[in-house]
Amino acid sequence: MSEQARVVDVAFSRYDGPRGGRGGAIWSLAHWSALRALGARRGWKAKVIPIALTLLAFAPALVILGLRALLGTSSLTNQVSKALPIGDYETAIAIVILVFSVVVTPELVCPDRRDRTLSLYFSTAVSRADYVVGKALGALLPMLLVTIAPPLLLWTGDLLFAHHPLGYFQQHSGDVPKVIAAGLLIAGFYGLTGLAISSLTGRRAFAIGGYLAFLIVPTIIGGILAHALNERFLRLLAFAAVPLQASRGLFPGYTDRGNIGPWVWAATAVELMVVAIAVLAIRYGRDEP
Amino acid sequence: MTEPAEGAPLIEVEGVTKRYGKIVALDDVSIATTDRAVGLLGANGAGKSTLMRSMLGLIRPDAGRIRVMGIDAGRRSWDIRRRLGYMPEHSCLPLGMTARDLVVHMGELRGLPRREAVLRASEVLFQVGLEEERSRLIRTFSVGMRQRTNLAQAIVHSPSLVILDEPTNGLDPAGRDEMLALVRRLSAELGIAVVMSSHVLEDVARTCDSVIVLRDGRVAATQRVDRRTAVERGDVRVRVVGDPDAFAAAARALGLTVRADDGWLHVVGADADAVLRGVRDAAVRSDTGLRELGQAGPTLEETLIGAIG
Repeated sequence: MSEQARVVDVAFSRYDGPRGGRGGAIWSLAHWSALRALGARRGWKAKVIPIALTLLAFAPALVILGLRALLGTSSLTNQVSKALPIGDYETAIAIVILVFSVVVTPELVCPDRRDRTLSLYFSTAVSRADYVVGKALGALLPMLLVTIAPPLLLWTGDLLFAHHPLGYFQQHSGDVPKVIAAGLLIAGFYGLTGLAISSLTGRRAFAIGGYLAFLIVPTIIGGILAHALNERFLRLLAFAAVPLQASRGLFPGYTDRGNIGPWVWAATAVELMVVAIAVLAIRYGRDEP
Repeated sequence: MTEPAEGAPLIEVEGVTKRYGKIVALDDVSIATTDRAVGLLGANGAGKSTLMRSMLGLIRPDAGRIRVMGIDAGRRSWDIRRRLGYMPEHSCLPLGMTARDLVVHMGELRGLPRREAVLRASEVLFQVGLEEERSRLIRTFSVGMRQRTNLAQAIVHSPSLVILDEPTNGLDPAGRDEMLALVRRLSAELGIAVVMSSHVLEDVARTCDSVIVLRDGRVAATQRVDRRTAVERGDVRVRVVGDPDAFAAAARALGLTVRADDGWLHVVGADADAVLRGVRDAAVRSDTGLRELGQAGPTLEETLIGAIG
């Protein structure tokens, strides 16, 4: 390099442009949390289970639509389309939704506590309330992938395969808001309860175990006691089934073996979500991160 | 937030007290500084981290008031945290993220639009020397690389002031040197004011314009840092063989200031060149010999020890 030459550093510039508010920070938390939970930008091991479960959630819709495409105008078409009514879709894939929530929700909050990242977040413009809202959104977004997207795909496919799509739309357009409402309820329930239990530990394995215990143990105890004491409301302890029963009530042909009623299931789901929010508020509401 | 007016204090701390039960973390601390790089020096438990977290509004003092770049830290802590950068002392990086993703994310959390956050993440990772490793998971980083990532996330949003809590903690000598050079660059070249804590005087002396010593939650001393040696400032002391009065007279005749002190002659000139040439010429003219020649004045350490008492 000659004596006249000099290195001019142009790689660092000042930023004086507009800055986003709380909403932007919350969305950023939700966005990155959802990506992380789905295994994006991580190794293939982190991606396999969420992708496999998502595919399983879509499988019934894809099979039915595939058969309809193959059968064309055959007389079997009607039977195939009635094999899985849209209102029963979430119940049919209930185990997939449950496992998906068990896999996804601990990934949203456990690493932050384990790596002590909370203090880093709270040193920015993110408040504790912002953090909880961001993480709840981060749980909701991936959950919607398995609660709303598959039945909507089935509905769209049925519309396209219908002999009279316009007539089908006029007759079944009311199903769309019901599918969305049911999906939001299920996603919100599993997302919030999963987050609340996961927030109690920094260990992912403990969070998964705790969440499974929360969903399964009361269900077993409630079933046994309801049978032994002949008290139908004890069936409400079947926490894993609470949002599914509540959402099923939105659609025609609702049957409830316990004769409890969809509104009671819905009220129980809301109560449990409120408890989950309270747990999160207490867990993250302390003065010191 | 705009830059503070010329001469306006960067940080104003007025009578701040913070207690944790019976422990007094900060005891009536008052500071006002306009320097662009300020070091908080003190032993563990002296109150450095508590003071820094109070500046960010993360801790509410029991008494007193803090203003950072003119903003009240108690009332507008959200605004301060969005604008300032903070590098926590302990490891707190999400190990499952890449350096690039983390820095983008932290930029967004501090209000940068996504596109700008992505651009600036590349810039700051280049600045801290991690441009080649930006796509690696933080889990795979060495301690030094993690500290540099920590620094990158603190400056990604172009803060006017960055608060660094013990940035050299856990680093080996080479990593420490690199980190100190980076910290000095922030205020000297990149235009970012720095408040840095350390329990090592040399770290503060190398990177800061002034040092505030905390002890038991109180301000024990405040001192400006002059990185030049006494010789560079034109301040030496000599011991001569022969007549010291003749040497002093010859030196004064050459325009130097001379003061006798306990067998030594303190000689002060305009700069190092002037004083060293003057000493040489005065020795020749007064026909004296130089027995000892060294830098005069107390070191920063001596000054601080004297101030602390």
